[in-house]
Amino acid sequence: MEENNLQCSSVVDGNFEEVPRETAIQFKPPLYRQRYQFVKNLVDQHEPKKVADLGCGDTSLLRLLKVNPCIELLVGVDINEDKLRWRGDSLAPFMGDFLKPRDLNLTIILYHGSVVERDSRLLGFDLITCIELIEHLDSGDLARFPEVVFGYLSPSMIVISTPNSEFNPLFPSVTLRDSDHKFEWTRMEFQTWALYVANRYDYSVEFTGVGEPPAGAENVGYCTQIGIFQKNGGKATEACVSEQHDQHVYKARKGLTMLPRLVLIFHPQAVLLPHLPKMLRLQVFTTSYPSLQQERFFKLVLVNEVSQQVESLRVSHLPRRKEQDGEWGDEPKDTGGSKAPVPCFGPVFTEVEKAKIENSPKPFCVGDKFFVPLQRLLAYPRLNRLCANEEMMRSVIADSIPLSSDGSAVVTDLCNYFDEQFEF
Amino acid sequence: MSGRARVKARGIARSSSATEVGRTQASPLPTSVDLSNNEASSSNGFLGTRRISTNDKYGISSGDAGSTSMERGVKNKQDFMDLSICTREKLAHVRDCKTGSSGIPVKLVTNLFNLDFPQDWQLYQYHVTYVPDLASRRLRIALLYSHSELSNKAKAFDGAILFLSQKLEEKVTELSSETQRGETIKMTITLKRELPSSSPVCIQVFNIIFRKILKKLSMYQIGRNFYNPSEPVEIPQHKLSLWPGFAISVSYFESKLLFSADVSYKVLRNETVLEFMTALCQRTGLSCFTQTCEKQLIGLIVLTRYNNRTYSIDDIDWSVKPTHTFQKRDGTKITYVDYYKQQYDITVSDLNQPMLVSLLKRKRNDNSEARLAHLIPELCFLTGLTDRATSDFQLMKAVAEKTRLPPSGRQQRLARLVDNIQRNTNARFELETWGLHFGSQISLTGRVVPSEKILMQDHICQPVSAADWSKDVRTCKILNARSLNTWLILCSDRTEYVAESFLNCLRRVAGSMGFNVDYPKIIKVQENPAAFVRAVQQYVDPDVQLVMCILPSNQKTYYDSIKKYLSSDCPVPSQCVLARTLNKQGMMMSIATKIAMQMTCKLGGELWAVEIPLKSLMVVGIDVCKDALSKDVMVVGCVASVNPGITRWFSRCLLQRTMTDVADCLKVFMTGALNKWYKYNHDLPARIIVYRAGVGDGQLKTLVEYEVPQLLSSVAESSSNTSSRLSVIVVRKKCMPRFFTEMNRTVQNPPLGTVVDSEATRNEWYDFYLISQVACRGTVSPTYYNVIYDDNGLKPDHMQRLTFKLCHLYYNWPGIVSVPAPCQYAHKLTFLVAQSIHKEPSLELANHLFYL
Repeated sequence: MEENNLQCSSVVDGNFEEVPRETAIQFKPPLYRQRYQFVKNLVDQHEPKKVADLGCGDTSLLRLLKVNPCIELLVGVDINEDKLRWRGDSLAPFMGDFLKPRDLNLTIILYHGSVVERDSRLLGFDLITCIELIEHLDSGDLARFPEVVFGYLSPSMIVISTPNSEFNPLFPSVTLRDSDHKFEWTRMEFQTWALYVANRYDYSVEFTGVGEPPAGAENVGYCTQIGIFQKNGGKATEACVSEQHDQHVYKARKGLTMLPRLVLIFHPQAVLLPHLPKMLRLQVFTTSYPSLQQERFFKLVLVNEVSQQVESLRVSHLPRRKEQDGEWGDEPKDTGGSKAPVPCFGPVFTEVEKAKIENSPKPFCVGDKFFVPLQRLLAYPRLNRLCANEEMMRSVIADSIPLSSDGSAVVTDLCNYFDEQFEF
Repeated sequence: MSGRARVKARGIARSSSATEVGRTQASPLPTSVDLSNNEASSSNGFLGTRRISTNDKYGISSGDAGSTSMERGVKNKQDFMDLSICTREKLAHVRDCKTGSSGIPVKLVTNLFNLDFPQDWQLYQYHVTYVPDLASRRLRIALLYSHSELSNKAKAFDGAILFLSQKLEEKVTELSSETQRGETIKMTITLKRELPSSSPVCIQVFNIIFRKILKKLSMYQIGRNFYNPSEPVEIPQHKLSLWPGFAISVSYFESKLLFSADVSYKVLRNETVLEFMTALCQRTGLSCFTQTCEKQLIGLIVLTRYNNRTYSIDDIDWSVKPTHTFQKRDGTKITYVDYYKQQYDITVSDLNQPMLVSLLKRKRNDNSEARLAHLIPELCFLTGLTDRATSDFQLMKAVAEKTRLPPSGRQQRLARLVDNIQRNTNARFELETWGLHFGSQISLTGRVVPSEKILMQDHICQPVSAADWSKDVRTCKILNARSLNTWLILCSDRTEYVAESFLNCLRRVAGSMGFNVDYPKIIKVQENPAAFVRAVQQYVDPDVQLVMCILPSNQKTYYDSIKKYLSSDCPVPSQCVLARTLNKQGMMMSIATKIAMQMTCKLGGELWAVEIPLKSLMVVGIDVCKDALSKDVMVVGCVASVNPGITRWFSRCLLQRTMTDVADCLKVFMTGALNKWYKYNHDLPARIIVYRAGVGDGQLKTLVEYEVPQLLSSVAESSSNTSSRLSVIVVRKKCMPRFFTEMNRTVQNPPLGTVVDSEATRNEWYDFYLISQVACRGTVSPTYYNVIYDDNGLKPDHMQRLTFKLCHLYYNWPGIVSVPAPCQYAHKLTFLVAQSIHKEPSLELANHLFYL
C-alpha cells in the first residue's frame, strides 16, 4: 500500500545511517521512521495545537503530523532553504482536502533560518521537536540553544533526539554517523546536559529512545536517545507571550515574505558573506487548509451531506420497479451462491441513534414532490455532528437547496432522470 | 425536453470527445465535458529522459511524490511534434500569402499576449552527470539545487538535463556535494547546446516556466491546466465541484512567441466510492448489486484523499474487509483500519465495505511482478463524469449554467490572471530571472465574410440571421422530398392517443413543406425494449419505408436496440421520438416540423442548398471516435456529397483498430464514394475537398504521411486519365485562441462568418479560424482549419468562403453549424455507431442520412 511514500522520502532525507553498507544492524521499521512515529504517538497522546519542528529538513515529519486533526499550526524551521522550498509543495492541501475539509483550521509555515535565533513567531507553542538536531550544532550554537529554545520560546513540551554514541561500535567502522555531526553523545553525556538544561529552565525531563539494541548488546541502550521535556507548571501565560511580541528576527512584511531570494540579492551582507547570515529567518512557505471552521467549506460540506441524505431517502421512497422477467438477455443476473456474501451497506446506527431517527418527523410526498423535514435530517448523526439546530441548517443551505414554502423541509422531485436510466 | 433539446442532448452533449467544460460553450448546451480525467497517464521528464523519471505514474500534482512541473511534457511534446510538420512550404500558391480578401474588416481582441525578451536571449542546455551515479532523481535534483553555485540562477532541471538562462563560466563545471549520509558526489555539468528563443526546446522551457508561475499563484495543476480550489463553484444536487482555472500555453504563432490563456473548469466529484456504492445498492437491491457495481466502477479513475494520487479501479474484492490484515513492505502485518489510523489519522467508519483493487504500475523498469493495491472505497473520490452523467440533460445544463462565461467575463478573468502574474512578486521574480517580460494583449484584424442565401425549391431566401432561418423558410417548400407511403408507428397503449394527434400535426406540416405523408400502420406494443424489437422484427417487411417508434422512456436500451436492429440487421430508416417530447404543450408544431425534416432526409430527400460556385466539387467529411463499449475500437465515419449541388450524401461508417487501419479504410470509402458520384453524374468530380475531424494532438504526421497518400491513391486509381484534384483540411473545434470584438467599451462575440488568418495562425501552416456558430450566452469558440494538402489551388479567400458555405448545409438544424456539414454528418454517424449500434451499418442505408 502506501507505506512506500516514506521510504521514498528517506532517500532525500539522507537518513542513511540506519542502513550501513555492510549492514550489521537493520531496524524495522527504519530508525528515522521509528523516531517520527515516536513523535506522532506523543502528539496523539498530548494533542498539542501548535507544533514546531526545528531542523525539519525535508519536512517528512511535518508531512506525517499534518494529518493529525488536533494540530492547528505546524511550523518547520531549517537552515537549508533550497530543500525547504523544494519540498514545500508537498505540504499544500491535496485536492481531497478541499472535497472533505478538516474539522479545524490548519496553517503550515516553513521558515528558513537558524534554530538558535530568538523569533517571537515561535512563542507560545505546545510542542517543539528537535529530532537529530543538536549534534549538528557547533559549540557556540549548542551553548545558545537552551537559552533560545527553553528560555525564550519556552513551549509546554520539547522533544530532543540525538544519536547514542555507545551504540556506534555495533556499526562497522563508524566514528560519527554523519559527516556534519559535530559530536555524538553517550547516554551519560546527553542526560547530564539535559538535566542541567531542564533544571535551569524549570522543565522536568524523561529519557527514552528508539532503535532497540540487538540481543546480547542490550547494555549499549537505544540507538537514538530521546529526552522529553515538560515545562513545570503548565503553559506560559498568554500575557507573558504578548509582552515579547516585538522580537521578530525578520519582520514579515506582506508581499515581501514570499521573496527570500530577491531579498538575499539586495541584501549587501548576504552577497558578501560566504555563509547565510544567521539573523535572517524568512518565511519561505505558508499554506492554510480548508476546514469546517471556514464558512465556505462548512456550507459546502453541509449542503453535500444534506443532498446525499435527501437523495438516499428519496430513492427508498420510489415505487419499486417491477423485476424484469429476464426476457432481456443481456441484463445482469446474479449467478448466486458462488460470489462472496452480499455486502451490506450504509451507515450503521446505534440503538439510540435509530430511536432518534424513528422519532423525528418522516419524509412525505405531495404530488410528485418529495419533502424531507429538516428536523428529520438533524436526527442523522453525520448531519447532527455538523449542525446543531434547524435554524442554522436552514440559513446555511437555503440558497443552495430548494426548501418548502415554510422553510421546514427540503423539497425535491420524487422522480428524476436517473431513475429511468437504471435498468436492472 | 424539446425535440431539439433531445436531439442536441443525444447528438452533441453526450459527445465522446473529452475536454474541460467551459472551453466549448458556444452552443446552447456544452458540447463536451471532461470525461476522461486522465491524470493517470504517465508523466515523464522532458527530452526523453525517461529512465530516471518514471517516478509516480499516478501523481495528479506534486503531492507526496514530489513530481515537478517538468514531468508534464508528454502531451506538449505531441503538440511540438505537430508543429514540426511544415505543410505550407509544399503548397506553392500560399507560400507567400495565405490570407483572404473578401468581407468587412473587423477589429478583434484575442486571449493571446506578447512575451518580450531581449533580442539576444538564449537558453543554455547542460547535461549533468553524477559520480557515483545516483538512481534517485529526487536526490539528483536536491543535490544540484542546494549547491551554492546555482542557487541564484534561473534553472530548470529534470535530473539529467539542466537549462539555464545565464551561461556558466566554464563549458564543463565540476561541483561536489555531500549527501547527508556523508558520501561525496561529484556533479559534472557539461554545456550541450546554446538554443535561440525560436527553438522548440525553448518553447518547452517557456511552458515549464509558466507552469511554475501559475503554481506560485497557488493554483493546482491538473493535467495541463491550472485550477483555483479556493473559489469552487458547487452543484450540490449533482455532487459536483467545479474549480475555475486556466488552460495556458506558450507557443510561436505567425511571427512571434505568444502566451495564451483560456478559462477552463475542472469538474470534481464530491462523492466517495462508498457513497456511490451505497446509493447504487439502494437502487438495485441486493440481488444483482455486486455485478452492477462492478460494471459501473471498474475502469474508473479514483482519487485517494490521503495522498492525492489517482488509481484506476481494476477489480473489486468483495471478500476483503477493512478489518482484514495485509502485509506491509517491511513484513509486518496490520489491519487496513489500523494502517489508515496510524498513517493518516483517518478513521474508517464502514467496516463492511469491500476493497477496490488497483494494479500498480511498476516503478522503474524492473521486471518484478506488478503489485496490487487495495483501496478503501470510503477514502476514494470518484473523478470525472461518467457517460451516464454526461447524458443527463439536467446535469449538463446545470454545469453549463455555472461555467458559461460571456466574452466580457472571460476578458475579466484574463485581465485578473495577467494582473496576478504581474503583481505577485514571486511570479514576477521568476519571469525576471529568466529575462522575460509579460507584454500586452494582442489585437488583430479579422474579416466578416458575406452572408449566404438559402436556396429553397421555389424561393431564394436571405435569412435575417444565419444562426437560425427556420422562421425565414417556414412557408417555403423544401428542395426535394420522396413521398412516404408505407410506414409504421410503434407505440404503447399509454401513448397511442398522443401518437395520433402528433400524426395529424406531422401530416399537416409535412404537406406544407412539400413532403407527402400517407397514413401509417399503427402497432401497439408493451412497454419494454424487447417488445419493441419483437414488433419491429415482426412487422417490418421490404416495402416498409420508415419505422417510427414512440418511446415510453429515454432508457437507452429502447433506442439502442431498435437502432441496432434497423441499421444493420434489417436496414430500414427509423425515427425514434420520446413520448414525453410529444406531450409538450404548445410545442407540437415546431416538434412536428423538425421531425418531418428529419424523416425527409432519412428517406433521401433534400432540404435546402447554398450557391456553390465550383461546378464539379465533391466534399467529404471524416470523423473518428472511440467505441463506447470497446475502447480500443475506432469508429470512422465518412460522408461524401454525390451531386454538384451538395445536397445528397453517401455515408459509411467503419470500425478499425489502429490509426493506419483508419487510413486504409478511408481508401475503401473514397473508392465507394467516387463510384457513387460516377453513377449519378457519369463523370468523376473535378475537385475533391476532404474535411478531416477527430484528429488528436500529435497525429498530424500520420495524416500527412499516411492518410493523404491513401486518399490520393484512391483518387488516382478510380480514373484512367486525369484524376480529380484533392485538398485535405484538418478541422478542429478545440483551439486555444478566442476572439472578441470591442463594442461600447465592452467585448462581445464576433459576428458569424468572422475569419482570422493572420497573427493567431502558424507560419508553417496554411491555416485559418472561422466563426460559424452562435453563442447566445457564452463565448463562441472559433473553429480551426489547417489545409495540409491542396492540389486544387483555390485562393485562400475562396477556400475560406467555401468552408463557410458548407457550414450551412447540415439538415438537422436550420441554421449554421460550427463545422462544415460533411464533418457534422460524419460526427453524428460515428456517434450513433459508437454509442448505440457498435457495428457497421448496412450499406443499403448509405444513400440516406439515416442517422440524423
